[in-house]
Amino acid sequence: MAVSVAKQGYHLGHGEIDDHHDTVIYNETRDMRLLGFVLFLCADVILFSSFIFAYIYLRTTVSPVWPPIVDGKQLPRLDVAFACFNSVVLFGSGVTMHFAMEGWRHAKKRMFNLFMGLTILLGAGFLGGQGYEYMHARIGGWGGANGSIFGASFFTLTGMHGFHVFVGVCYLIILWLQVGRNVYTQDRYFGLTAGTLYWHFVDVIWVALFFLFYLW
Amino acid sequence: MATLAPGVKTGPYHAVLDHIHPEPTSFIRRYIFSIDAKVIGVQYMITGGLFFLIAGLLAEIIRAQLMSPNGAVVTPATYNAIYSMHGSAMVWMVIIPLVSGAFGNFVMPLQIGARDVAFPWLNLVAFWMFPVAGIILFSSFLVGAPDAGWTEYPPISLQGPPGTSLWCIAIFLVGVSSTLTGINFAVTMLKMRAPGMTFTRMPLFVWAQLATSPLLFVATTALGAALLALFVERTFGVPFYNPAHGGSPVLWQHMFWFYSHPAVYIMILPVFGIISEVLPTFSKKPIFGYKMVAFSTVSIALLGFTVWAHHMFTSGMVPWLQLPFMILTMLIAIPTGVKIFSWMATLWGGSIDWKTPMLFATAFLITFTCGGLTGFFLAAVPADYHEHGSYFVVAHFHYVLYGGSVMGLFAGFYYWWPKMTGKMYNETMGQIHFWITFIAFNGTFMPMHWLGLMGMPRRVAIYDPQYTFWNQFASVSSFILALSMLLFLYNMLIWTPRKGKPAGPNPWGGRTLEWMISSPPPYYNYKKIPAVLAAPYDFGNPLPYIGLDAAPGAVEATPTAESHPVPTH
Repeated sequence: MAVSVAKQGYHLGHGEIDDHHDTVIYNETRDMRLLGFVLFLCADVILFSSFIFAYIYLRTTVSPVWPPIVDGKQLPRLDVAFACFNSVVLFGSGVTMHFAMEGWRHAKKRMFNLFMGLTILLGAGFLGGQGYEYMHARIGGWGGANGSIFGASFFTLTGMHGFHVFVGVCYLIILWLQVGRNVYTQDRYFGLTAGTLYWHFVDVIWVALFFLFYLW
Repeated sequence: MATLAPGVKTGPYHAVLDHIHPEPTSFIRRYIFSIDAKVIGVQYMITGGLFFLIAGLLAEIIRAQLMSPNGAVVTPATYNAIYSMHGSAMVWMVIIPLVSGAFGNFVMPLQIGARDVAFPWLNLVAFWMFPVAGIILFSSFLVGAPDAGWTEYPPISLQGPPGTSLWCIAIFLVGVSSTLTGINFAVTMLKMRAPGMTFTRMPLFVWAQLATSPLLFVATTALGAALLALFVERTFGVPFYNPAHGGSPVLWQHMFWFYSHPAVYIMILPVFGIISEVLPTFSKKPIFGYKMVAFSTVSIALLGFTVWAHHMFTSGMVPWLQLPFMILTMLIAIPTGVKIFSWMATLWGGSIDWKTPMLFATAFLITFTCGGLTGFFLAAVPADYHEHGSYFVVAHFHYVLYGGSVMGLFAGFYYWWPKMTGKMYNETMGQIHFWITFIAFNGTFMPMHWLGLMGMPRRVAIYDPQYTFWNQFASVSSFILALSMLLFLYNMLIWTPRKGKPAGPNPWGGRTLEWMISSPPPYYNYKKIPAVLAAPYDFGNPLPYIGLDAAPGAVEATPTAESHPVPTH
């Protein structure tokens, strides 16, 4: 039957009815995927927040002083100078990621390739820096005989973040290869959008961790 | 082309018979690794049902042990493992997967007029994590099952048997499954509703699922963090919870209950949705206060995040926090009361048809209210000091979870079973099952209130002889409760397929969309996606759907100015 809903003035959001073909058309896929991905990131925020809560709780409620005292000696603070350098590397990768996407949106292939490559390099550099920092941190181990609550919260949170960066670097490499194989077109590139969102998300988490561990 | 909503762009997707994915032909792709939400819903139902039988068996061992003060059915150590596994299995392997995975997957896409959920493959992955998690959980019996209760408080759980680590893995896995389901459902309900189905025209079951989905993907992740920390502390000695290494056991309680209190609402909100469907259908009356029922669901979900520490009043938490948590907890009684009174007002003056789903739904009103009221006692800090860790708590949460969730699940089973199978169950057997369940349930758990107030602690394998009589009363009742399950299984699984009459599209005279199509629904649910003109509960008016490829027997709308007034905006 010819649907005359529109003529009757009913509000019908979320789709449309075609008078001639009697069909319903969904605006499917892209905004659904985007919403799903954003909700996934929300869930991830809660994962980090829970460990951040654990850290704040252990630091303020459980341990009488911070850094905590282990075997009668107070642990040293973390090295802020190196962490600043490493943070600049990570934030820099956020900036290059932005320019890579700008290159993509304006169909400037060379600009995209240059900045995507830089982003991946900076991300890998951050991971290397984190490895260096792990070897030189003197805050007690993650676990085992020399484990401390400082080490537990620091290595768990930054380790989880590092794992996210690692996944992000792998994801960006895959995206780069996909772009090389022309998987995405100028108007369908949800994978790239998701990669960018994820990368900025990882940056933002690091801002929180930086304040909580190095500046507090 | 008529543009019905400003700003909505058309895309070249999904014409009438254009499918999101083609119907599979092989048995394995159709029924085992299916991406059809209806099949996945039934898979959740079967798996969750099997785990329910195992968990129920564990409960009967508990009750057998408590038949005498010095019960010797199992050793005290085994007893600890059994009640821990009973609780863990019931919460994570039975109720949560049944309320969201089973009914959410089967009913919700049908009710919003969609052909599937937003991400069918994600749905498949989320489902298969669930039986794997269940197998891991139950296999912990082979290496020494967890024995610190379903809450697994450290430091006891840190020293627990190896099965405790398997418990962490299993619950983490089922948590990932819940998270994915929550995201999937949220996107489905926000983006895939039929044209015209605005928020205030959604069925209340959909409202309930919509309010539950953020709980699934927000709260469950917090549990994941707590489990991860427990697992690494047990395995690598990473100090989070062990006070001997500077950690804090109270930290676990905060992280655990930050999830596990919202989890209570994950287990009950979808059931509220089931009740809100069953009551108007069998009263032949619009639901009273549609908007209030919907908004109270949302406000319960939000408030649920702010009350977790009421589980911890005796834990040595910061004392000044007790008062705000007590007040916030009591605030939840307001939206819950709004619901209960709206449901009662729905019954008022209706022409009530006492079919089995209606009996269960009405019993739900009674038993859940009992559970809610004892929750009020427990939320009061001074009273909680006396009742904490006693059988009063056991009575309370069984009234909420069995008298609430499981009763509501039974209502949902009987209500939608004809839709799922296309056949009617045996009404007489259903009603006998109801009466046995209702009486035996109260016989099992009502005495626990008195035992708890008399001072009997929970989680004990032997007890003082003064508690003997009511324990025996509870045990005998629980055996009857278990037997009534056999009747239910016989009715649903053997009688219905063999002798059940064809149900037709709409055996109950329901008005939500799933009743407009054949039973069981065709693979793609809706050949044509209908347009929705009003909320579904206006009994007596023409059905508010147009453009529907209705099954014979379902009457389509002929909207008039009186029946479906045109909104003025």
